[in-house]
Amino acid sequence: MRIKLFCLLILLFPAAIQAGVIDLEMRPGIRTSAEYLVGDRSKPAVLLLHGFLQTREFHTVATLGNSLHGAGYTVLMPTLSLNIPNRTQSLACEAIHRHSMDEDIAEITRWVSWLKSRGHQRIVLVGHSFGSLQLLAYLNAQPDAAVEAYIGTSLIETRIAPMSRPALIAQLNDRVQRKQHDLVTQTVSLCRKYTAPPEDLLSYVVWDQARTLNAVKDSPVRMLLIMGDADKMLGRNWIKALQHIQAPMVIVQGANHFMDAEHEFDLLEHTLDFLQKVPASP
Amino acid sequence: MKWPVSIPIKQAALILISGVLVLVSLIGGFALHEMRNVSRNLMQSNQTAARTEMVAAVERLSNQIKNQAGTLAHWDETRQQLVAPEYYTYWRDQRVYEGGMLSRFARVALYDQTGTMLGSSTAKDGLPAKLPAHVPPHLPSSWLSNEAGIITLYYGFPIYSDERRLALLGHGLIRLNYMAELLNQNSLRFTDTTSVKLDLKPGDILPASDLLSNLRLSARPDPEQLRFQAILSRALLALLVLLAATALLAFVAHNRLLVRPLRQLSQDIDAMKQGRFDSDLAQAEPMRVSELENIRRSLFDYQVQLRELHGSMEHQNREFRSQARQDVLTGCYNRRAYEEDWTRFREEIKAVPQGVAFLLFDCDRFKSINDTYGHAKGDRVLTLIADALVMALRANDRLYRLGGDEFAAILLRTTPAQARQIAQRCQSLLEAKKFSDLGINEPISISIGIAFCAADQLEHIDELPKQADIAMYTAKQPGRNRVALYGDDVERASQTLVASRETSAVFQALATPGMIEMHYQSIHSLPGLEVKYYEALARIRHHNDLIMPDAFLPVVSSRRLETGFDLAVLQQVDLDLSSKQLPPGVGVSINLTAQSVSQPEIVSYLLELSRHNTRHPLMIEIAETSLITQVAEARTYLDLLRTAQYRIAMDDFGTGHSPLRYLADLPVDVVKFDISLVRKLEENNRAAQVVMDFARMMTSAGYSLTAEGVETEAALRKVESMGFAHVQGFLLNRPLPLAQLVANLDARKTDGPLPA
Repeated sequence: MRIKLFCLLILLFPAAIQAGVIDLEMRPGIRTSAEYLVGDRSKPAVLLLHGFLQTREFHTVATLGNSLHGAGYTVLMPTLSLNIPNRTQSLACEAIHRHSMDEDIAEITRWVSWLKSRGHQRIVLVGHSFGSLQLLAYLNAQPDAAVEAYIGTSLIETRIAPMSRPALIAQLNDRVQRKQHDLVTQTVSLCRKYTAPPEDLLSYVVWDQARTLNAVKDSPVRMLLIMGDADKMLGRNWIKALQHIQAPMVIVQGANHFMDAEHEFDLLEHTLDFLQKVPASP
Repeated sequence: MKWPVSIPIKQAALILISGVLVLVSLIGGFALHEMRNVSRNLMQSNQTAARTEMVAAVERLSNQIKNQAGTLAHWDETRQQLVAPEYYTYWRDQRVYEGGMLSRFARVALYDQTGTMLGSSTAKDGLPAKLPAHVPPHLPSSWLSNEAGIITLYYGFPIYSDERRLALLGHGLIRLNYMAELLNQNSLRFTDTTSVKLDLKPGDILPASDLLSNLRLSARPDPEQLRFQAILSRALLALLVLLAATALLAFVAHNRLLVRPLRQLSQDIDAMKQGRFDSDLAQAEPMRVSELENIRRSLFDYQVQLRELHGSMEHQNREFRSQARQDVLTGCYNRRAYEEDWTRFREEIKAVPQGVAFLLFDCDRFKSINDTYGHAKGDRVLTLIADALVMALRANDRLYRLGGDEFAAILLRTTPAQARQIAQRCQSLLEAKKFSDLGINEPISISIGIAFCAADQLEHIDELPKQADIAMYTAKQPGRNRVALYGDDVERASQTLVASRETSAVFQALATPGMIEMHYQSIHSLPGLEVKYYEALARIRHHNDLIMPDAFLPVVSSRRLETGFDLAVLQQVDLDLSSKQLPPGVGVSINLTAQSVSQPEIVSYLLELSRHNTRHPLMIEIAETSLITQVAEARTYLDLLRTAQYRIAMDDFGTGHSPLRYLADLPVDVVKFDISLVRKLEENNRAAQVVMDFARMMTSAGYSLTAEGVETEAALRKVESMGFAHVQGFLLNRPLPLAQLVANLDARKTDGPLPA
């Protein structure tokens, strides 16, 4: 199996059948793009979302996307704008983060719609890291009916520090209510210094562990979590918590947060396994 | 051979040291010049390097700014601000630096599509609220401006929505203190950053492309180069100083070790050369240079030897001088001493004027005494006379024997009366002598002539000898007491021997070269009558008159001028021979007195004259009558002259008193029979027979006989038959001046023999 996947990867680039970059204006002045790899239309299209502040060029996502395309799947790999026109670079933690979860969800919605506009009626959402959380948030909002399944790889919770989450939430709420828009710098997830306006920061901070677990539990579609047991970016006992809620989950032994090295194959294998189990379109 | 001019050793040392110093200075100057050239080249190189590195720094900074601008233009967060500028200030003041997009010395501002700055401008920014109009919309532009002395760079750049530049979102403008940024680069090694200046007036704007052409800078002085230059200069200076000091020390050492000792040695040698031995080399300080010390010691030894030799020579010279001035017979001073002393005295008395008396002593009838009692007793008489005169004279007075029986004395610081008194004493002492012990019964007396010159009449000092002579002759006159004082006893008018034409002529001839004229009479060989010799006979040409020997010889004799006259004759003969008018191979015979032959100067001249022997054989004729007292001296010098190829002839043979004695004592080659003997040959009597026998005897003895005064054919035949080798006389030729003789000879060559 691995050999096949390896050969698949090797043949990946030269054998790119159809690829294109799609530009969409998400908001006035904010355009973003996605890489659209057309595959077998009988198979569900995969919307593959990158991790926190990253782009679709991130190797875990790019590799997985091209591999899935190589496996015959149509893959759409958007780059969330994060309210930056034509964002092409990973946004630094210290940047001024003028984006919110809601805007992220809105962009995911636009991309789903776009897929549908391209005739893809069966869509599987695959996310990596924070992208898994964003897709989960989308699913927790009002997902499109075309979305059939969800794979969350290295699903991560929004961890904050040093302040306790309730205190932070309370503080942010207070600022929002008092319309105090001064930038707030906080440790969020992998960013030690995350700077954002209070309302935007709040949109992410509210996604605590409980809410995330609830979103997992309440996923309206079939889902699979692919986690690495060597993922040091996860919170303590996060996998246990997921296991506790009996979330469908595959734990890749020895894989880190990015599923790199030989664990790429594990990620691909498990993703393909799940995708293959997604019922075919009638 | 001309020796090159020598210079003192000190001067030589100075020249050498100066030359070395000049040479070293030249080399030093050349080195300095080259060093400066090198420094100049290095400075130029540094300047070029500074310029090059400045160009590189400008380019580097330009690229850096350009890159920063590009990075900013492509930065997602930049586009974010242009779309959502709510937090632009934070981005501008913090985010661009946090993100490493801009250096801390630069400021950036974003301008929307209308060219309006996002947010507000601050004094800290210094950026304009509106994008300058000259900024092109789609191209980056860069310019510099002088803002209150600070050169500021502005870099404007467009910012697009995406990489494809689909939509222009706005512009960015970077501002920085250009010079500070430029000079802050650590790569400026050659540039003197303090010298970097941009030719930009306050308020002016300069496109960044024109930056380099307006940038002025200087190279940083290379401390290593400067230090090297300073070290080299100091080294050169130290070298020069050292060399100068060394040269000075060398000069001083040279002076002390070489110059002074050499100079001292040179002075000592000069002193020895001049016969001064006052410097004592033994006492001199030893010389430090061993070679010089060796020279000094050798010189010392030589000085000692020389001093001894000098002393010995001085002693010998005194001895010789004493002997040269002493009359051998009487022991008193001789004529030479008289002439030297008289010459010196005449000079010295001018400085110390005093009364002077000249005494002339003459033995009365000495010739007859000599003839009667013989020369030995005659000599003894002269000795006793001299003794008596010496005793009679004062202690400091000198007695001179002038010749024959004549004596003289010069009395200084005297008066006429004192002189007469002394003369009387001389007479008295002489009278006291016992000449009878010698077997002489006749009274021996002397006549004394006195001439006095007072201290205030020294201009007449030269006349004293003549006056004394006159007085002496006056004293001999009968009725006189044999002492006569010139002036008192002698009538000035009766100067029979003074101011005569002959006397004047003789003195003039001695003083005037050319007045003595030599006439030449041929001496012919027998048989054949070939001319073998010419006898040189002296005449005096005086005012177109020719004065013959019988007129002037008494003057010469009475004035004791034989030596001077003979010398003048020899000089004239020398001139005649040097003119080479006489035919080669013909000899010349010269007449001299025995006194002259005894004089060193005559002998010396004769030796010099002998150079003519190769062309003209020379013969000296000495009259028999002049050989009374100088036989011994004559013999010595005649022997010497024979070695110089002279033939010696006894002239006027037969007119003297002891002819055989002279032939026995003297080295005679030729005997010239006097005319009186030749005439006797023509007679037919016993006297003639005696002469003939005598002639034969002399011929047998090896003498060459010459017959003088042959005036007849009979006499000629007679002498020829008797074996005479040569003949001379009016029968054959009269004496002729050289010019006439030569003319006759020339005429004879063309026309035949001339009559005698």
